[in-house]
Amino acid sequence: MTTPVIEAEELGKDHISHFLRKRFTAVDRLNLQVMRSETYGLLGLNGAGKTTTLKLMLGLLRPTRGRVSVLGYPAGHRRALGRIGFLPENPYFYSYLTGREFLDFAGQIFGLPGAERRKRVQALLKMVSLTEAAGTAIRKYSKGMMQRLGIAQSLINDPEIIFWDEPTSGLDPIGRRDVRLILLSLKEQGKTIFFNSHLLPDVSEVCDRVGVLHRGVLVGEERMANITGGGGHYRNLEDYFLDCINRAEEDGKAVPKAG
Amino acid sequence: MKLTAPLAAIAINTFRETVRDRVLYAFVFFAFLVTLAGILLGSLSVGQDLRVLEDLGLTTIAFIGGIIGIFVGTSLVYKEIDRRTIYLILTKPVARWQFVAGKYLGLAFCLLVVTAAMGLFLCGTIYLCSPEHVVSPLLGESLLLIYLEILFVVAIATFFSTFATPLMSVVFTIGLWVIGHMVQSLRELAHLSRSAGVARLFDTLYWFMPDLSRLTQIRFDLVYARQPEPELIFYLLSYVVAYILLLLTLSTLVTERREFP
Repeated sequence: MTTPVIEAEELGKDHISHFLRKRFTAVDRLNLQVMRSETYGLLGLNGAGKTTTLKLMLGLLRPTRGRVSVLGYPAGHRRALGRIGFLPENPYFYSYLTGREFLDFAGQIFGLPGAERRKRVQALLKMVSLTEAAGTAIRKYSKGMMQRLGIAQSLINDPEIIFWDEPTSGLDPIGRRDVRLILLSLKEQGKTIFFNSHLLPDVSEVCDRVGVLHRGVLVGEERMANITGGGGHYRNLEDYFLDCINRAEEDGKAVPKAG
Repeated sequence: MKLTAPLAAIAINTFRETVRDRVLYAFVFFAFLVTLAGILLGSLSVGQDLRVLEDLGLTTIAFIGGIIGIFVGTSLVYKEIDRRTIYLILTKPVARWQFVAGKYLGLAFCLLVVTAAMGLFLCGTIYLCSPEHVVSPLLGESLLLIYLEILFVVAIATFFSTFATPLMSVVFTIGLWVIGHMVQSLRELAHLSRSAGVARLFDTLYWFMPDLSRLTQIRFDLVYARQPEPELIFYLLSYVVAYILLLLTLSTLVTERREFP
């Protein structure tokens, strides 16, 4: 776990409102490194800048300041995109396709040969428990089924790095457990996982390290072992998270990074 | 990774999206009805019934093909952004030009099938009206010119769909399509104007606006069995293809500069 595969240096993003052309900062001075095979959870309240950070890493947004690289390439480089998988928050799909057709389409984009694609699609459908619904039009899918299809499409190319944005949001307890199990299985396979969440129990179970983003600033970063292990300052992840937020609010600035 | 893999995947997906839209079949059904109405209109003419049927049939194909191109084309890229499906595409190894070209080619192929279906229906109707009448191969050439015009309309629609809402794109595309057919009038207006400034304005507009009037002119010549010079056909083909490439390049540049918050 020594090679950084995701690196952000002094990363910043300003948005400009359409109407009054007012500028506001969504992410500011973000310095972050994620090592190979590490599972990193980016935590934060709603609107903290988690999704913006993820979009900067994927090249969907361009940084206003600083730089971000993935697998040694600038964010959004096609070589890097070929080796990663992405699940957006509340994913939307082409409603006229069936689940199987969509996964096949995703495989075609990566240029997977027909036989390999079919095998991969079948395996992923099984993994996310969608085999029976594979031939059903996506417009008939429930939210949980959409989320599972989103997970499957993010793994179609057997990626080295997985970017998941709120993978468990909107899922019922069984769905959340299933996603956690998939995450743990990917972790066992040595994948690098970067995900956003505000559901702390999910994060504490799978992450090696967490970062806390508040008002666009990384206000805390810590190894899970130091948070949940014995002898630390914190009872659990929630305690650490709230402490980071409270200190940032009181100081009006970021707390020093740890770990 | 193959350069064509994402392009082909997006084109096939767009084709599938379009052929699974019921609105397409409503338009084609309407085209069939109007073509059949040509039989009635033809019977009112004196000995020109097949000519009327051919004229009306080809005009209907050009109009309905253009309308489908406009209504599907103007939401081609916009819908991907609005429904956020673009996140799933552009976070895969897809260059922006592959995305734009894939969407365009998928719709272009769908419209090829639609134009062919409407053309075959017209030929079938002509045969039913007069089995001894030999359908001229020039009708096929007319259909190709219609398809060329539809390709052009789809390129305009695709360009606008990269930055404007579907409603605005429809207005802009129809505007350019209509102006394209009346562009010779701009030149005439420039000649007629007494003000040098106005004349220059119309003349400049003439050079920037697409000229589709010649396509229609040649189509009518073909229907009346007047074979145009091959050089003219080649010139028009090059002109329209160059215009399409320019529009798709501009669409790519707009998409390239865009962010997806």
